[in-house]
Amino acid sequence: MSSPSIRSALRSLALLLTVWLTTAPSWATGLGERIYRDGMLPSGEPVQAERESGMRISGSTAACVNCHRRSGLGMKEGRTSVPPIAGSYLFQPRAGTVDDLELPFVEGMRADRDPYTETSLARAIREGVGANGKPLSYLMPHYSLSDDQIAALTAYLKSLSPGAVPGVTGSTLHFATIITPDADPVKRQGMLDVLDKFFTDKNHYVRAEGPRIRSSRRMMYKVSRRWELHVWQLTGAPESWEAQLHEHLAREPVFAVISGLGGSNWQPVHHFCEAQALPCLFPNLDVPVVSESDFEDLYLSKGVLLEAQLIARDFQQQAPSSGLHRVVQVFRAGDAGEQAAKALASSLTASGTTFADRRLPAHAGSRDIASALRSLAQGDALVLWLRPADIAALGTLPDKLSRVYMSGRMGGLEHAPLPAAWRGVTHMAYPFDLPERRRTQVDYPLGWFKIRNIPVVAEQVQADTYLVCGLVSDTVNHMVDTFVRDYLVERIEEMLEHRIITGYYPRLSLAPNQRFASKGGYLVHFADTTATKVIAEGEWAAP
Amino acid sequence: MSNTDLIVAFALASIALIVCSGARAQHVAVIASSHDDSAKPALSAKQELVPYVVPRITLVRSDGKSVSLPEEMDDGRPVLLNFIYTSCGSTCPLMSQIFAQFQRKLGAEAAGVHIMSISIDPEEDTPARLKEYARKFGAGPEWQYYTGTLSASLTAQRAFDVFRGDKMSHAPVTLLRAAPGKPWRRIDGFVRPDDLVQEYRRLLALM
Repeated sequence: MSSPSIRSALRSLALLLTVWLTTAPSWATGLGERIYRDGMLPSGEPVQAERESGMRISGSTAACVNCHRRSGLGMKEGRTSVPPIAGSYLFQPRAGTVDDLELPFVEGMRADRDPYTETSLARAIREGVGANGKPLSYLMPHYSLSDDQIAALTAYLKSLSPGAVPGVTGSTLHFATIITPDADPVKRQGMLDVLDKFFTDKNHYVRAEGPRIRSSRRMMYKVSRRWELHVWQLTGAPESWEAQLHEHLAREPVFAVISGLGGSNWQPVHHFCEAQALPCLFPNLDVPVVSESDFEDLYLSKGVLLEAQLIARDFQQQAPSSGLHRVVQVFRAGDAGEQAAKALASSLTASGTTFADRRLPAHAGSRDIASALRSLAQGDALVLWLRPADIAALGTLPDKLSRVYMSGRMGGLEHAPLPAAWRGVTHMAYPFDLPERRRTQVDYPLGWFKIRNIPVVAEQVQADTYLVCGLVSDTVNHMVDTFVRDYLVERIEEMLEHRIITGYYPRLSLAPNQRFASKGGYLVHFADTTATKVIAEGEWAAP
Repeated sequence: MSNTDLIVAFALASIALIVCSGARAQHVAVIASSHDDSAKPALSAKQELVPYVVPRITLVRSDGKSVSLPEEMDDGRPVLLNFIYTSCGSTCPLMSQIFAQFQRKLGAEAAGVHIMSISIDPEEDTPARLKEYARKFGAGPEWQYYTGTLSASLTAQRAFDVFRGDKMSHAPVTLLRAAPGKPWRRIDGFVRPDDLVQEYRRLLALM
């Protein structure tokens, strides 16, 4: 072999070695991640574990994530406190008190035990014996894992150690809000006004270089940080949004996305947040993305998809007695109603109901609305997925119709400009608390808007935005200085149910694999032909 | 609160404790009711006989049928009861596994016990979700799951003193009753399946 070819072979070998060295740890981490999150071994077999009394668990039921959470920072469930197992918490040297630990504070962290070694960690995972030689809690299963699998899992746990987080600096917490080009311009302004004022208020008391506040009793030190908002206004076709979001994130790293506004397609944004492990907290949407196994995207409700479920539920109850056998749905092409209509149809397919879509062109005039209402028959249930302008143009009530439903969310709730003849017969899906019951809740943000001269142009969107700002702010306060994105989502999940101020919603609640905080609604009808009073038909229902 | 108030409150609380636990308090093996790195499985914990009144509420069984709670509980069989939710990460899967093991250990005899699990997250736990959860834990026909309205679930939780403010704060509690009209045996913490079987037999023998 000639020397140049040896050189080139050596060069290739060196290159291969470099590639292997740089990818090997992440390869092991990836295998560890599957064990941790899914309870799956590299072979594709489920992880096996056992508890006392011969209780065996395997696969996703045995996954570490169930108790130690995605962040690896543990959790508290009732009196049960699950300790953090992110690497730095396991391998930290013994300290006198929690105060002396140089680690971000989390509930359940321990100072008074010896650090784990790779050997003692393997023993803890396999035999349930802690670093100090004492048995671990009964809740901790004993895992059957090989040395390689333990090594992969350990590598993953180390990778969970909190470190520098994009969007968090010593003085500033960066947030983004995302707006798609098809978002309603009036709601957009309403939302941005609220966000803007909330951030201004928040920063009012923060001095340029906030001193560390530290108490000697507990490790509750934290730095006062300014909150900075970045508005990521997307443009063009949905296919280009993800690339735009990547550019925004690279230019303006943020800790999380707060609020936001979309039209009928949020999928690219949802997907981006999930892929970037970027919490996307409660955007204002008529049609959210339903994928509850995803983690980063939280929504206040399922929007019009929830309304479709409420209508489907009532239709099924009414169909036998009212002789309903066909659902006629009216919506604008490309608007939220199109997906709501699809959702309603799919939830009623098993019932033998027939469907007719009256799909109006996106820019059709009011004459098209009237034509969409022709040739209705006895036994038809009409469903109106329409915005206020179309609602106002409904004209005369068709006489043969058996039942009328409308989307409250799209049509303007109790302010929907429903013509007089329709008001007595229309059943409105109302996925919010009733006006008189939410008044005290909503009075507070309305007063806040008034003092800050924020015009109320879209009350529900603005109240929701304010609610989300308060929610994120409270959660960040509780996190002390533990800025870990997944931990932010987990803390929101845990804290949400405690909230007393819940705005337009009677109750908010999340949990692992629950991504929609408000889960129900009412069907209502107008009390009379002119005013805005609505009457609930039955109790709040979670369909 | 003044000092006198505190003393009075303390005295009242002590009396209440004595009255509640009384002479009937028994000891059963319970596996750890708290959890930390060094917690040894507790070998004994107090369990009580409590005369809970079954509230007259309607719940929805996982087969979709609306049922009255007293009627479900008073079908003549002994009742084994717990409160769970399907999104729960650590506590509920273990509680359910203990019931599954109890069911297995009793074998054919299990059909004579009405095992009941009531959801504390009824808005999320639809009958379909509960059915899937039951399947995961191998629940036999004698083990049924219940959901319903939020207020019905809350009433049930309060009636059996398991409501702890929200679903994430709930604690493991197992309740056993030998027959309608009899008091409930309440076990706080995780009970070993073998001990639960033993306790069940002891309770039946007492009848």
